[in-house]
Amino acid sequence: MLMCRDLATIASDYIDGELSGRQNLSVKMHLLMCRDCQTFIGNLRASSELMNAHSSRKLSNEFLRRIDERVARALAEKKSENQNQS
Amino acid sequence: MATPVHLETEVSLIDALKRGDSAAYETAVREYSSGMLAVARFYLDPSSAEEIVQDCWVTVIDAVQKFEGRSGLKTWLHRIVANRCKNRLRTANREVPTEFSESLEPELANRFNAKGRWNLPPQLQFHDSADTLMENGALSDCLDKHLSALPETQRSALMLYEAHQRKSEDVCNILDVSASNLRVLLHRARQKIFLMVETFQETGEC
Ligand SMILES: [Zn+2]
Repeated sequence: MLMCRDLATIASDYIDGELSGRQNLSVKMHLLMCRDCQTFIGNLRASSELMNAHSSRKLSNEFLRRIDERVARALAEKKSENQNQS
Repeated sequence: MATPVHLETEVSLIDALKRGDSAAYETAVREYSSGMLAVARFYLDPSSAEEIVQDCWVTVIDAVQKFEGRSGLKTWLHRIVANRCKNRLRTANREVPTEFSESLEPELANRFNAKGRWNLPPQLQFHDSADTLMENGALSDCLDKHLSALPETQRSALMLYEAHQRKSEDVCNILDVSASNLRVLLHRARQKIFLMVETFQETGEC
């Protein structure tokens, strides 16, 4: 039988729909009987959503501008190369 | 979070990149660099990672001419970054991301009794939606703090899993990890955030 600890171990797989049919069923059965695990799954899912809303890195403007400059320089070099060829 | 580029927009963006349109590069740099940096930081220290991302954008100028759009621009860019990082690591000593055999966080694992039942079950429900929780400025700051304290491997895995619409295969290819290792990285990261939000809700402290 699936215990609470087992369920906590595979909880992310359950949330992401990565479990096999049989495993999925045994998690569902457990959740029908166990309030604590219901709360845990709900909270882990909420944590995951919270993190998704927050996870993209804020890039510094300085970093972005440095890339812009390097790209602009490379584009200009390429253009002048092409002009020399034609 | 950056708004996803739609397919049509992506096609015209790629055309503009091929033409060497500098405004298109500025748009693309802002749209994709954050994911690219996540890939790079999975493999390298922060400053080498930034360097690699910059170098990649310069190589994109030529490489994009041969891009046929089979994989989507984002996946293609992520692969370029991953390959560069792997090349660099080949010369250095590669530090392989730790394989965990146990996917439970110790702090959580301690909360079960010998029979595997909850000893210290979760007390509160995080019933609010992510949006409502995010409006709590203190929680949001706390989350920032904890996210930046996550190991880079977990943080990148998590971010890229979402960025690639939860297609494990793409993420595994880019990060060069097995499917089971990816599952562990994701689960570890989520548990840490779970523990953090729980502490915050119970004590109001970060
Ligand atoms: Zn249970």
